[in-house]
Amino acid sequence: MSKRLKTNDHKLTIGWLYPDLMSTYGDRGNVICLRKRAEWRGIEVVIKEITLETSEKELENCDLLFMGGAQDRQQKIASDDLRKNKGPVIKKMVEGGVPTLFVCAAYQFMGHFYRPAEGEDIPGLGLFDLHTIHPGSDKPRCIGNVVVKTTTSYLVGFENHGGRTYLGKKVEPLGEVVVGYGNNGGDKSEGAVYKNAFGTYLHGPVLPKNPHFADLLLKLALEKKYGKAELVELDDSLEWQTHKFIVKKLGVGV
Amino acid sequence: MRKVNFLFPIYLAKIVAAVSRLFNLGAGSTWPGHLAFEQDKQILSWLVSQLKGGVILIAGTNGKTTTSKMIRTILEHGLKKKVVHNEAGANLLNGIVSSLIMATDWRGRIKADWGVFEVDEATLPLALNEFTPKVVVLLNLFRDQLDRYGEVDLIAQKWHKALIGLPRDCSIVLNADDPQIAFLGDKLKARVFYFGLEDSSVILAEKQHAMDSSFCPRCAARLKFEGIYFSHLGHWLCSSCALLRPKVDLSSWDYPLVGIYNRYNTLAAVLVARILGVKDNQIKQSLKDFHPAFGRLEEIAVEGKKIRVLLSKNPTGFNESIRTLNEFPGKKTVLLVLNDQIPDGRDVSWIWDVDFEELGDVGIITSGDRAYDMGLRIKYALQTQNYSSKVKIKEDLKEAIKEGLEAAGDDETLYILPTYSAMLEVREIIAGRKIL
Repeated sequence: MSKRLKTNDHKLTIGWLYPDLMSTYGDRGNVICLRKRAEWRGIEVVIKEITLETSEKELENCDLLFMGGAQDRQQKIASDDLRKNKGPVIKKMVEGGVPTLFVCAAYQFMGHFYRPAEGEDIPGLGLFDLHTIHPGSDKPRCIGNVVVKTTTSYLVGFENHGGRTYLGKKVEPLGEVVVGYGNNGGDKSEGAVYKNAFGTYLHGPVLPKNPHFADLLLKLALEKKYGKAELVELDDSLEWQTHKFIVKKLGVGV
Repeated sequence: MRKVNFLFPIYLAKIVAAVSRLFNLGAGSTWPGHLAFEQDKQILSWLVSQLKGGVILIAGTNGKTTTSKMIRTILEHGLKKKVVHNEAGANLLNGIVSSLIMATDWRGRIKADWGVFEVDEATLPLALNEFTPKVVVLLNLFRDQLDRYGEVDLIAQKWHKALIGLPRDCSIVLNADDPQIAFLGDKLKARVFYFGLEDSSVILAEKQHAMDSSFCPRCAARLKFEGIYFSHLGHWLCSSCALLRPKVDLSSWDYPLVGIYNRYNTLAAVLVARILGVKDNQIKQSLKDFHPAFGRLEEIAVEGKKIRVLLSKNPTGFNESIRTLNEFPGKKTVLLVLNDQIPDGRDVSWIWDVDFEELGDVGIITSGDRAYDMGLRIKYALQTQNYSSKVKIKEDLKEAIKEGLEAAGDDETLYILPTYSAMLEVREIIAGRKIL
């Protein structure tokens, strides 16, 4: 490791949006993963739980943001607060290059709108150029293991969503599904990328089994904060074993 | 004269069950009922109508099997009644039909007074559609198999819709400490009874992450908890609409089993028994030597060592298993078995909602269909990055159990924490025979 970065004095504040509302599907694992992978490299980590009562100032001070999926009722509570208070701040942060990860319900909410099976459209933050339509409760949910091919690698995870997401022109997909439904079960796209903001349907949770994705987020956060960043390599043999096990289980030859 | 028509499906089911038993084919507790029910949908309500006492239904994410077994034990030993019950896991309608048919004679008559049936989350409304029970017991609602059952709020809504039609002579027994369960008692015609804990010595110092009902079931504002026993079970109130934990009819008992969750199971069973008119001393006598079902903590001697199996099928169940095994003294070896079959849920993301950080200094082995996922979770729960001295990953369950028994010293106990289908596999290996 020739280019070992002196990370002893580095510190990251990871903002975890609505841990008590938007965390039904084990997505806490993403936060655990980011924290551990930073700490193992000697980077000090503060997890800032951002919930209804947290001020916008505290949100602004975060170097990386994460938000996960939720039950409908809890999602409504969080989305009211997002629209009124925290949304504009998050938008500004994303435009400024702060890395963010939005999973499932959080991903949908970052689009223009969500059209439920019944009732009126629910406006989103419009951070990603996309919208989501629920085709009706008689239509099957998109449930199952997923393998996604990105431009440089593969991602594995588990999806469980009723809404179908359609990307606009101003946003790139995170990748293409090799196994699974992805955004809408039709065009093979999965997730969305805009600047350093990533949206995805992947639970699993997504980061522990895809350590390269976790490290990308950490690297982006460090670069934004300290200019240049080179991450020390970790022994990820177990991470990749777990990753490959799922790829193999699904019979994908990658 | 309707009865004659039911005899064919009954014989069919009995023959299928006998053949299944004879050849050890498995699924003997659901398949016969499935066939009979296919033949005639009315068979269930007809069979149930023969039970002179009535039916007691038990639902909830965790604790169904133990609570059912306690109620059954009290009815059999305390009241000297004959009871039909479904086997653990056979908790869909076909499992209930199967157990009822197995209790019939050749004329289709049932020789039992009571039916005690555990039903899974989705089956409760279906069962209430078929017949009116004497008592419905609702224990709790935690996140569990979201890919199969859907979210907790949705289940609660469906349950309330199904309960609202029940008549006055039906009793609903609810856990007052679970906000969403307690609120199910709202606007019912049936009589409602509550149980809950009132013991400050077992209140948690800190909230757990796996809380599923931390918001008011009526007005959606954040609930205040004066104390939490585990997950979202505790003394709660809504500061916005003033909804609060109902007063309870029973809050303590001489508990026959360890574990806080077993206190709830016991309170539920005892309250049911009281409603049915069983005297307290009869209840106490019946539960004195209560043996839990397989996978619910009982001690098994294997090759001169001891094994305790604690079924751990969702975040709350797992957290409580960890808390319970921490109460046992001494050095420990723990085997975590994670499967992703249909009864376990295909999605294993939920293990990241479990507080494995609380496991303390124990030797860990992981196994099951998703042994690596579990191993990875443990790696990220440890202080150091060097996990290999603490965790061994063994895909093969038999080898994992062997390894665990070897790792456990004399007089030590191997604790096995499996998901549902993994528990059945563990039982098969330990007993050395097929079990369903």
